[in-house]
Amino acid sequence: MSALDLSRRSFLGDMTTGLTGVALSRLLANEVQAAPSRPSHFAPKAKQVLQIFCPGAASHMDLWDHKPMLEKYDGTPLPGAEQEVTFQGKNGTLMRSPWPFLPAGSSGKMISSMLPHMSRHVDDMAFIHSMVSRSNTHGPGCISMNTCFTREGFPSAGSWVNYALGSLNDNLPTYVSIQDLRGEPPNGKANWSNGFLPAEYQAVSMSAQQPLRNLARPAGISEMEDSATQDFLQTLNAGFAGSRPGQDELSARLASYALAARMQMKAPEVSDLTREPQHIHALYGTQDANGLKAAYARNCLLARRFLEQGVRYVSLYCASRASAVDGLLNWDAHKTLKADYERHCPIFDQPTAALLSDLKQRGMLDNVLVLWCTEFGRMPTRQEGTSGRDHNPDAFTTWMMGAGVKGGISHGATDEFGRRSVQDVATVYDFYATVLQLLGLNHEQLTYYHNGANRRLTDVHGHVLKGLLA
Amino acid sequence: MKAYLPVLLAVTAFTTTAFSASPSPEGVAFFEQKIRPLLVEHCYECHSAEAKKLKGNLFLDSKTGWEKGGDSGEPVIIPGNIEASQLLKSVRHEDPDTAMPPKKPKLPDAAIADLIAWVKMGAPDPRDGTQLEAKRADKSWWSLQPLAREFRHKDIDGFLEEKLTEKGLHFNAPAEARALIRRISYDLTGLPPSMEEVEAFAKAYQTEARPAVEALVDRLLASPQYGEHWGRHWLDVVRFGESNGFERNFIINDLWPFRDYVIHSFNEDKPFNRFIAEHLAGDILGKGNPEVEVGSAFLVAGPYDDVGNQDVVAQKNIRAATLDELVTSTSSAFLGLTVNCARCHNHKFDPIPTEDYYRLKSAFEGVKHGRRVVVSKQERAAFDMASKPLNDEKKLLTEQQQALEKAVEARCRAAAAAQKTAKPKVDPNATEDHFSAEQVRFVKFVMHASTANPKSATSARLTEFEVWSADKASRNVALAANGGSASGTQSIKAEDFPEAYGPQLCIDGKPGEQWAVGTPAELTITLAKLETIDRIVFSNAKGKDVQDKSQGATPCEYEVRVSVDGTNWKTVSSGLDRAPWSEAHGIERVRREVTTEEERVQLAALAKLIAELQRKIDAVPKLREIWAGTYSQPSEQTFVHKGGDPLKLGDSVVPASLSVLDRVGKPFALPAGAPEGERRLALAQWLTGDDNSLPPRVLANRLWHYHFGTGLVDTPGDFGFLGSRPSHPELLDFLATRLLFHGWRLKPLHREIMLSRAYQQSADLREEAARVDKSARLLWRFPPRRLNAEEIRDTVLSAAGKLQLVPAGGPGFRLYKVLANNVSTYVPLEQHGPETYRRAVYHQNARASVVDLLNDFDLPDTAFPAPKRANTSTPLQALTLLNHGFTLDMAAALATRLGSTHSVQAAYRIAFQREPSPAEKDAADRFIAAHGLTAFCRALLNASELVFLD
Repeated sequence: MSALDLSRRSFLGDMTTGLTGVALSRLLANEVQAAPSRPSHFAPKAKQVLQIFCPGAASHMDLWDHKPMLEKYDGTPLPGAEQEVTFQGKNGTLMRSPWPFLPAGSSGKMISSMLPHMSRHVDDMAFIHSMVSRSNTHGPGCISMNTCFTREGFPSAGSWVNYALGSLNDNLPTYVSIQDLRGEPPNGKANWSNGFLPAEYQAVSMSAQQPLRNLARPAGISEMEDSATQDFLQTLNAGFAGSRPGQDELSARLASYALAARMQMKAPEVSDLTREPQHIHALYGTQDANGLKAAYARNCLLARRFLEQGVRYVSLYCASRASAVDGLLNWDAHKTLKADYERHCPIFDQPTAALLSDLKQRGMLDNVLVLWCTEFGRMPTRQEGTSGRDHNPDAFTTWMMGAGVKGGISHGATDEFGRRSVQDVATVYDFYATVLQLLGLNHEQLTYYHNGANRRLTDVHGHVLKGLLA
Repeated sequence: MKAYLPVLLAVTAFTTTAFSASPSPEGVAFFEQKIRPLLVEHCYECHSAEAKKLKGNLFLDSKTGWEKGGDSGEPVIIPGNIEASQLLKSVRHEDPDTAMPPKKPKLPDAAIADLIAWVKMGAPDPRDGTQLEAKRADKSWWSLQPLAREFRHKDIDGFLEEKLTEKGLHFNAPAEARALIRRISYDLTGLPPSMEEVEAFAKAYQTEARPAVEALVDRLLASPQYGEHWGRHWLDVVRFGESNGFERNFIINDLWPFRDYVIHSFNEDKPFNRFIAEHLAGDILGKGNPEVEVGSAFLVAGPYDDVGNQDVVAQKNIRAATLDELVTSTSSAFLGLTVNCARCHNHKFDPIPTEDYYRLKSAFEGVKHGRRVVVSKQERAAFDMASKPLNDEKKLLTEQQQALEKAVEARCRAAAAAQKTAKPKVDPNATEDHFSAEQVRFVKFVMHASTANPKSATSARLTEFEVWSADKASRNVALAANGGSASGTQSIKAEDFPEAYGPQLCIDGKPGEQWAVGTPAELTITLAKLETIDRIVFSNAKGKDVQDKSQGATPCEYEVRVSVDGTNWKTVSSGLDRAPWSEAHGIERVRREVTTEEERVQLAALAKLIAELQRKIDAVPKLREIWAGTYSQPSEQTFVHKGGDPLKLGDSVVPASLSVLDRVGKPFALPAGAPEGERRLALAQWLTGDDNSLPPRVLANRLWHYHFGTGLVDTPGDFGFLGSRPSHPELLDFLATRLLFHGWRLKPLHREIMLSRAYQQSADLREEAARVDKSARLLWRFPPRRLNAEEIRDTVLSAAGKLQLVPAGGPGFRLYKVLANNVSTYVPLEQHGPETYRRAVYHQNARASVVDLLNDFDLPDTAFPAPKRANTSTPLQALTLLNHGFTLDMAAALATRLGSTHSVQAAYRIAFQREPSPAEKDAADRFIAAHGLTAFCRALLNASELVFLD
């Protein structure tokens, strides 16, 4: 049974199990979907996307991309690049990762020992170790990882997918962006912007701590009054539309109010984590003593519940923006990598791994494509006079798993120190060309005219990373 | 964007006539034997009609194909000329950027030799059959031609009726009075008419229609709300936003004078050629006249990246991107051209060479984002007169003060040198103090100085503060895990994440995060119970094993006090036992003892006088600063960036007119080192010359777009190949010439448009006409529309009787809260107070700040020029308009305004400017009886009839 079928069943189930005060006529009379599902270009492998984003430039050499040479040459200059100046200034000598890497999965893939839970999933993951970015700055880097452009104003991948494929459900938003308790990522809302695409393709921003805006019935208005008001309004508007036949906008407006009403019923139910059994809470770590971890774990659980109900695209952030202290609020470990990542990794590791396990055990990875992103990588050297790493747009790691993705593989490679991507170099355009391919879309054919150009998510670039396809 | 294909720069245009006769039989034989197979094998995959994806718009499967060339618009083979034939350069791999076939080995030498031989013999090519469909525009493109000056019709309706008749269509009957006055009022002012205005107009309209409409249009054109509404349209076109965007996205609080300037300019009907010139060079045209100078704030009203970047390559890219934003906005706003698409290569669809892009760029090389003083000469003189004597006096007193302090410090230095201390200076990695055991419940760390500031410890950082018990198994009893708690003020706050920078970080046992010490600089630790302690350790490094010199200052002058009850304190250790951090710190320690009574009195008196003077100086109103940009002479010449890469310099270009428009307008070219301001001025004058046909065409089309909802050209910012063709080309030129006739003033043109039958016809749908032209592009009816975001908010406020038309201008209001901590975060407000009950044009539109009501209803992101707004219906619109505090407040206000008698009738008159039908009144009365008047008002504010116009 597809996610859509499930959502419809539970929707109708609710209808019959007594929603007092809600007029069934209002909800059923407008079975028009505001953003109906649209066909893909060819048969899709994946129907939904879960994008997990660790902002701040999560270090490839300290998480996923094992570099034994860094251990060997720790404390010596990077050959040919002594005193290189990068984003924050001069670089010092090579710096080994503060933690050992351990073999994981049947492939024996080396993963940082800081990610014991995540390492259990490596057999399902397809790593891209040869990513490069066009920006060495967090803001432009983040929006580039989401929109393929380093300047703001372009639609995010989620909005493009929404525009291309529409909704899979009829009572929830199509594109949900879940924010970390610590705030928004660098460049904030531009990361999930619909850019120049019409507002109907926008993301809804929320989290387990911050419900969907304007969803709840206002305090001081009874359920009966609220329901009667909406019914009265729909009657008014139906009359107005009826007197102006052929004006499609007016019927679209009626449908949008009906969809809003259905969301008012459905979204709180989906967001209600108390409906989950205790063993699931324990799996994610939603009650962990570390408040940041517990908050992120709740967001992970929320992501699964939204995907389960047929939300097309879910972005999930783990960490937030740059702070007055580097690396405090996100993965931007400029000066004290060890201390910073000993804070961030435990927040990320168990809840994310639990989310993946949970998706898998429910068979959802047959439909859901999972992406893990960060905006760029970090230097193999220490920033001069510190124990951290500066920005490195020339090398970083991302990975995919789930629907249509070949598990347990690694695409491309960085050089022996992790300074540059050298083998099968992959761009963010390639990354999204592949994502669209998996969704049954040709990235060169998905276009939207704006200010003089037929714009694409992948700009004028991009090659599908065929090796990643199952 | 990167070229798919050869960047065909500087191809010499040779004449081909010498070889245009039909090829000789030998030539054809050579072609068929050698050349055709080679082209088929190596080139057709990307350069033929059969190509899966045609690259670079270049066809090599016909003679016409290589004669026309690809994106360059220049032939790729010059018969007889080997050096000038780009195709030969490409196959010989002379330039890696244009090497062909791409990413493949070079063709065999024999094949290349054949190609050379073929070109030498005049490139005989018998393949003449293929008729190429135009894939791009050349200079014969419609929008690049001079304006037509003779027309077949005398008025707007004539042009429209001609096309309608062709399709067997005709105008609708005139609209009824109510629909018409609502249409005209919203169109000119963005606000609804009052019921009284509707009634008066209906009466006059019935008597004599045309004078009634003329009077209405004239009245509204003269109202200040006209400029507010049409100024808002223009702010879309010039991507006006009041934060810098990108990562920091800091709010800009002094760009609103530009918004007011736009509104005033519309209201006074400033000739648009002058208005445009002021946008580009107001600072030159109106030096010392703020009203004009502020115009060039246009240049810096867009987003730009200001994050400090030490990487030189990144710096160049960021600067190039900043200027690209300017080129994009300028060419879109005034020319309706996408010159920005020629940044990396010649424009793929329009005849814009990449040099044109850099010509435009060179005009802006000296522009930097930022604020500067924009005042009149009189204001500056008055300011100088008021502040100069005060500053002079302050300077004198400050000199006396410094002399006195110098004397004191000389003695301090000697005294400090004589002091001996037992312990080494503070160690940021860990400083440990032992003292005799005390049984206490409270420990207070009082800080007097930091390593950065000998006089204060505020803003210092502390990573951990440990208190160790005196027993054998000594424990850190301050730890939160051991029941300790910490309090103290912090100097940095992150509102969206209050735990950051707090004092609790000092007792979490984790070395990473730091407390940012506030004022007073005191940390109080409360232990779980009475404990016997004999040692404290404090540290500021992020861990004892971590080397880091850059994590902020460390407290270095301090006392450690202990207490049993939290009231009576005893000092158990102090930084005085330690060597001072620096000489300056040593001096501070002894300053008090060394200063004589007389010096103390003198210094106090001087300090008092100086403080008083400072108060007076501060009281002189500051010279007004505006985010109007700063200008400086560029230090370098402008070069073409090959492939858009600022590291790959091509030929140099000079500030000059764009060659794409050399059929219209008088070209200009300045010397390479022309003064910065002159460049912008010359550009402005060229743009607004009466012979330059694009700006008036583009402007006339914008007017049409806002009046009818769709422009004659449906892509108001793009008159190029990818834009739409005009539905009525002759009418467009007619309007443009009318604009010039009116001296570039808009109001007379509004009048002509609004007095047309096309504009005044009804919006009724006739099915037989809809079958022919559903979207009414030919205007057989007036196209109905939804109100835009600002109109909706203004209308709701107006219905509730809460809209305040004053202050009209000045600093904007905000529907979000700005959280600033390193970067800015914009949090939409749940409640909108009365200070926000102004017209939405006065909202301070920060970039990437989602403000529910406005953004839900398609207020565009100001990252780009928005020549056209989207128009969507979404469930989020419904949720916002139903449930946001604003709607509820307005519903309550409307209910109060209606009163309890005849309230349904009053409501319909206010909201819809009509009487309710008996059935409507009956239904409303029944609803009100059951659920109250406020609920009824909430529904009314959501009604489609409120937000749609016929």
